[in-house]
Amino acid sequence: MLETKKLGYWYGHEDDALFKNVTLSFDAGKSYAIVGQSGSGKTTFLSLISGLDVPKAGVIEFNGQDISKVGLTNYRQHDVAIVFQSYNLFNYMSALENLMTAMAITGAQHKGDKEFARQMLAKLGLTDEQMVKNVQKLSGGQQQRVAIARTICCDAPLVVADEPTGNLDEQNTVEVIDLFQQIAHEQHKCVIIVTHESEVAARCDVAIRLAERTFRVEQPA
Amino acid sequence: MNFVKRAWLNLIARKGRTLLLILVTSAIMLFVMAGLLIRNAANTATENAKDSVGATVTLTANRSAAFKKMRRSMSSSSGKPSGRPTITTTPVSLKTAQKIARLNNVESYAVSVSTTAKASGFDTIQTSNGSGGPGMSNSSSTSSVTVSGVSSTSSNSSFSDGTYKIKSGRGLTSKDVGSNNVVIESELASENNLKVGSTIKVKATTGTKKTYSLKVVGIYKAKSSSTASAGPGQSDPANTIFTGYQLANKIKGTKYAGTADSVVFTVSKPAKVSAVKAAGKKLINTSKFSLSTDDSSYKQVKASMSSVTSFANKIVWLVAIAGTIILALIVILMIRERRYEIGVLLSLGERRWKVVAQFFAEMVAVLIVAVGIAAVGGKFVGDKLGQQLISQESQSTSSMTVASQSGGQGGQMGGGGPSQGGGQMPGRSGNMMSTAKQQQAKISTQVSVWSLLQLFGMGLMIILVAIMLAAGGILRLQPKKVLIE
Repeated sequence: MLETKKLGYWYGHEDDALFKNVTLSFDAGKSYAIVGQSGSGKTTFLSLISGLDVPKAGVIEFNGQDISKVGLTNYRQHDVAIVFQSYNLFNYMSALENLMTAMAITGAQHKGDKEFARQMLAKLGLTDEQMVKNVQKLSGGQQQRVAIARTICCDAPLVVADEPTGNLDEQNTVEVIDLFQQIAHEQHKCVIIVTHESEVAARCDVAIRLAERTFRVEQPA
Repeated sequence: MNFVKRAWLNLIARKGRTLLLILVTSAIMLFVMAGLLIRNAANTATENAKDSVGATVTLTANRSAAFKKMRRSMSSSSGKPSGRPTITTTPVSLKTAQKIARLNNVESYAVSVSTTAKASGFDTIQTSNGSGGPGMSNSSSTSSVTVSGVSSTSSNSSFSDGTYKIKSGRGLTSKDVGSNNVVIESELASENNLKVGSTIKVKATTGTKKTYSLKVVGIYKAKSSSTASAGPGQSDPANTIFTGYQLANKIKGTKYAGTADSVVFTVSKPAKVSAVKAAGKKLINTSKFSLSTDDSSYKQVKASMSSVTSFANKIVWLVAIAGTIILALIVILMIRERRYEIGVLLSLGERRWKVVAQFFAEMVAVLIVAVGIAAVGGKFVGDKLGQQLISQESQSTSSMTVASQSGGQGGQMGGGGPSQGGGQMPGRSGNMMSTAKQQQAKISTQVSVWSLLQLFGMGLMIILVAIMLAAGGILRLQPKKVLIE
């Protein structure tokens, strides 16, 4: 589904590259964990594969097409859904409005379907009252669930998550990772999670470690 | 149209910020509106002035050419005694006047003939003048009356500017041109027990010296200030009788039939006064006749209105520029504060133009409220500011009027009595000045659909520039950078 070919990125000079010549392949129906120390370039890699930034070298292909040729906006709109550590919800909207807005922007199949959005939020444990509350009034775990519900509603075949459990307690962490596993296995999506937590990585189908500018597959499916 | 919904949700959720934006935008729009209203009012007033102030072209004998001719004849006969210098002028032909009257933009024309006659069977008003110096007394006790022949009394400047008013009976109309009907002054009437319907007799002093029997159809009253200016040897202004110009020509002498001392043409569009003059010159012998124009009132109104318009334009532009800067700064701060939101939108794949459109929709909603407030308050501010400007302009125009009127009259006095030939012009000018002042005083700002559209258009431009300045820098960046920063 997603392939990186000789991908490279650096700030400043090429010699100080975060990573170079990264060639990886990600398939639908699997969950991937990218682990590594802070500052190793995990989030930068994630921003490249989610079309938030452009690589300095190499190409990223989605379903065989170079995403830079498809257009990064188009790619983000239709092919990838991102879950951020800080949730990145619209803070002036309710949970329900967040989902409706995301569906409208991405042109999702259930665009405009409030009932579908409600069902998604209910499935992730939000009550009717919580759904119409401003998201800032929800707890961190609840906000993260809203962010995950948003990715589900948007129908994107690729789901990338940056430290999605970083702000969650142990119980919520387990629940969220289970959710991602469900998304990968039941909805046949490709889920890529960037994390520094080895427990999270262990629960994913494949773990890829970024160390010393290279990616190494540690836990093949 | 999801961006419109987002804009609405944002405005509702951030009420305090929305209120602040409405207040700032309203203040800017209020001043832009006031400027627009003053400018529109000044433009309207100038347009009205063009129609109502009017301008005239006067056809008279060319006195300066006559003076030149006199000097030439005096120099050619130098060394030989030639008596008192005399100038010879040719009276204006009414046929020529009619040709000029047919020119484009000539609305109407008024004929003026002036002559003197001897009162027969009634007494004239005698003027005692003490201007000869201490111990001297100067008295003029002639029995002559000034016969002022007109097309109609209403076309005569003294009547149209209110110096003379019909007290009883009626004024002369175009129907009286060939009749022996007259309008006399009230003092002359009371001294001689004359009433409307009475008959008076005057004897021509030139030509056949025939006596004419005239029927009084109206009695006019002159303002005291205008009747107290008879000079030595001059008949008192109360001895002026108004007749149709044909009768005045008869009294003057048979050779004056079909002529006039002067003909004043009213030009419908003051801006065309020069064109009428140029076209008229082609129809006359310029060595004998001259065409002079008077559009000073129009020019003064135009100048003062231009000044108001120019000031209003400056207000509009200054406020628009200052408003753009202030709004741009506010919008820049607002958008910088919303970088995170922009990043989220971009990460979801929202088009950049739709992000801008959301901010634009928010500001348009604010602008609609602000324009509403400006529409209500703008008239108040515009009226206050406009009246202040107008009163300043009126003061300067009044002082200009006093200067030009005193100068103008002085220049015309050499032409004869106050109602002779060129003597028409100062009165006419004074009349137009008062109209001009009335025009200025009438200026009032009106909130029209057009001014609201202008204001809204201006507001749209301001917010568009402000948003482009504010959002341009952020939207150039990759979403990752926007989110990180």
